Amino acid sequence: MRTYERPILLARAIASVQNQTYRDWTLVIVNNGGNPGPVEDVVRVAKSATPCGNIQVLHLSERVGMEEASNRGLAATQSEFFAIHDDDDSWISTFLEVALEGIRAHPTAAAVVTGVNRIHELYRDGKVRPERAENFFLNQERLTYEGMIGNNTFPPIAALFRRRLLDDIGGFDSTLPVLGDWEFNLRAVLSGGFVFIPERLANYHTRTPDSEVSSGNSITVGINLHHEVRRQLQNRWLSEPSVNGVNKGALSIASYVEELPPVGPGALQKIAAGIKNPRRGALGVARRVRRIISR
Amino acid sequence: MNMSVSAKEVFELHPQATVLTIDFFDTLITRSVAQPTHVFAVMEEELCRRFGRRWHGFAVQRVESEHTARRSAARTNAQRDVNFAEIISELSALMGLSEQDRKMVAELEAETEVSLATAIRFGADVAEYALSEGMKVVVVSDNYMSSNHIANMAHAVGLTWVQQANVIVSSEHGAMKHNGTLWDVVLQRLQVDPALILHVGDDALADGEIPAKRGIVTYINNHMRQSHRHMMNTSPAVLPFSRMEAHIRNTTVGREADALESVSALVAMIVAAQIVDARGVLAQREVAGVHFVARDGFLAHSVWESLRKTGWDLPEASYFSFSRSVVWRAGIQIVDESTMAKFIGDDEELTVPRLERRLGCSLKSTIDPSATISAATARQILVANSDNILAASAQLRERMLGYLETQGLLAHGHHVVVDLGWTGSSIADLAKIVSEATNGKSVIEGRLTGLYWDAWPQRVRVALHGFAMDDFHTVDDNLRLLGILNLLEVVVTAPHGSVVGYGDAASGFAPQYVTTLVELDAYSQVVGAVSSRAAQTAEEILNGVHVSGVNATDITGASVWAAMMQVGHTPRAEEIALMGILRHISAIDHEGDGNALVLAAPSQPRKRNDSFTHGVFDALMHGHWLQGTLRDWSCETASATLVSDIERLFPFTHPQWVTV
Repeated sequence: MRTYERPILLARAIASVQNQTYRDWTLVIVNNGGNPGPVEDVVRVAKSATPCGNIQVLHLSERVGMEEASNRGLAATQSEFFAIHDDDDSWISTFLEVALEGIRAHPTAAAVVTGVNRIHELYRDGKVRPERAENFFLNQERLTYEGMIGNNTFPPIAALFRRRLLDDIGGFDSTLPVLGDWEFNLRAVLSGGFVFIPERLANYHTRTPDSEVSSGNSITVGINLHHEVRRQLQNRWLSEPSVNGVNKGALSIASYVEELPPVGPGALQKIAAGIKNPRRGALGVARRVRRIISR
Repeated sequence: MNMSVSAKEVFELHPQATVLTIDFFDTLITRSVAQPTHVFAVMEEELCRRFGRRWHGFAVQRVESEHTARRSAARTNAQRDVNFAEIISELSALMGLSEQDRKMVAELEAETEVSLATAIRFGADVAEYALSEGMKVVVVSDNYMSSNHIANMAHAVGLTWVQQANVIVSSEHGAMKHNGTLWDVVLQRLQVDPALILHVGDDALADGEIPAKRGIVTYINNHMRQSHRHMMNTSPAVLPFSRMEAHIRNTTVGREADALESVSALVAMIVAAQIVDARGVLAQREVAGVHFVARDGFLAHSVWESLRKTGWDLPEASYFSFSRSVVWRAGIQIVDESTMAKFIGDDEELTVPRLERRLGCSLKSTIDPSATISAATARQILVANSDNILAASAQLRERMLGYLETQGLLAHGHHVVVDLGWTGSSIADLAKIVSEATNGKSVIEGRLTGLYWDAWPQRVRVALHGFAMDDFHTVDDNLRLLGILNLLEVVVTAPHGSVVGYGDAASGFAPQYVTTLVELDAYSQVVGAVSSRAAQTAEEILNGVHVSGVNATDITGASVWAAMMQVGHTPRAEEIALMGILRHISAIDHEGDGNALVLAAPSQPRKRNDSFTHGVFDALMHGHWLQGTLRDWSCETASATLVSDIERLFPFTHPQWVTV
């Protein structure tokens, strides 16, 4: 679990691990260059009521990239399976139990990925308030190499990986400021495939635009960086040799689908409103419908 | 209809009858679960046990597949009922079942139905009386199962006179009682004057009005239907409460008694959960003390002590008086408009004397004591009297610490504090006071039975665990919990008022309670009876002797949550009527008349807009039992459309709370 100066979100994330029905876990919190005091306070309070599991804290003296922080945390454990639990996300209490059952039932799989609730929340004045939730669109198809090559299709909170992957394909790419999970997943999926468990057991929390900037997600506050890093990765892959006549970079560029705002429950009403109001433009309505259908 | 009417009396009312036709489900036979669809929850439990989690959500999909099959059948012939094969076919499509799974599920359903079947005394007596009088007896049922299956179920509970030949079931005749077509089949088969047929059933329409139109004499006993709630709310988690409800339904007579018992069963599960949870903590670590918080922990504490007296290996636990009011006042360190804001609601109208009682000190003011002042003026008065307020706060804090010491909370070590709680903020404030007073030597862990997302910031200050609910559930579930919060605060409480202060050292720092007429009335009318039944039931559950078979192993977070939802989110009319007479006081000083749990429907503007609906929703969510009120309004045509609007704008308010 990587964290930086977000004690309230960290407390929630730790509690989400402590709440697991599966009890034999080790949680490594990597304080990525942040003030150690608040992290220690949160961990002390959390530990005071959790006899199960094992919580370790790694304080990094200076801030490193997210992926390097993950690698440092992984290096501190020996477990058979691992998950990257961001400090702003959470699990339903049966995540580990179900994910473990799933990965053990598929001995060759590299990872299992569960269904995801996306929770839009407002963070302000030290309080987190969920505003709405939606089903994060995910299926087995989006967990294949072809399904993932164009876009990062799921958040890290939804996955449980087999540790042997780290020996087979290496760790996370420390040079990447964002999208390290995507790059890792694309290597991992070729080493055994991912199994989808439709039960929505992972909560992917994103802060609304009204939230304090310090609480923001890398994807919402750094969308331009995401685009830039994606292009860098695609360029990197373009320079790699083709496999079976297919170049990874070219395939990624061809498969990329423009990231769209999630389709909420009000989408159809908005379309209906557009149809009722021609000034909004029939073309816009048609475009919107196509986007929904394409998902 | 009164269950106490005997079989003989039924026939005395209809002496001309020579043939008895009798409904099957909920007249002759019921199940040991509260509603028919809960059979599928039993199946899901078994499927998951045998084959793993891929069967998770089976129950809801089984209900859905039946709906789909009915819709498909209606497209070709609106008059006919579906059969089991059609339902299983839809289920196979929905769940992607293999041929082997399909066969296995069909067999399991038949087995489960038979194993859960229970004879209904009244129906069985009526049939046996008719047989003893030499009358012909025929079972007439709207059901997708076969006559052979119905006979098997009957035999399993000793009704051996039921034979396939004397069962007329809708699935085998392409007809239904509900639209009258099956009654035509019955009359054709029996070939007797309809006036000589007495039909006994539970459905006012299918067993009453429709056959009566054909000249058949009818007798309706709908007692068994009382335990039915929304059929989609079907999952294994609902089974413990369902079994308790089934037991209540089978043993109580009269609707009011039934509602009192079902609310008591809910409270019993909450109380049992508090004890199971605290006991679980004791098994895991060294604990300096277990403390039940007034007033939510009153019942759990009394059951805890009772269990100790009957030989349970439990440490003595304290029941300590503590409230949001005292912890806020004892914690005041700065007096300004911002710190005083939480003592005065924006919509409150107060007087200076009431403000003095609320803050526990005298206040200098030139305003007439009888004059009503706004929230803004009240806050200004408090800021102008900061010295008095700070002095009163310091004194209260000293007395509070004295009291906490008498209750053992300042003893060094790890203390478990059991509370219904909601946000955990009061427990976090208490933990801070205790930690400061003991230099961190006393640590408090809050064990909360109710907990929602506003608890997140508290986790930085205190270790919190929610047993029945946690803040990692969906936003919708959190909102459902908020909507029933007022109901739970009213029914899980103590016979005394809330604590507003403590006496001096000479009195042993004795708690000072505020008593309100509203709460006294509630306790004498309903809550006292609910509490005594709940305490007894909780003890029976924990001792494993409850007649429904529910025991401590059934008390899980999910099952307690399901019980809360069944009563709180989808209450029956009898429960709304029972709880609707109560009021809830939420003001910090516990003064005033409080709010009715179930609000009367507002008069609506001629043209209602979303802003009006939002306003109604906000009022219900903050001051009333949201879902109880909505279900009440949905029964009246005038307010039903408002309920539809609220469900449209706030989908979580829809009765279905189980989702896949």
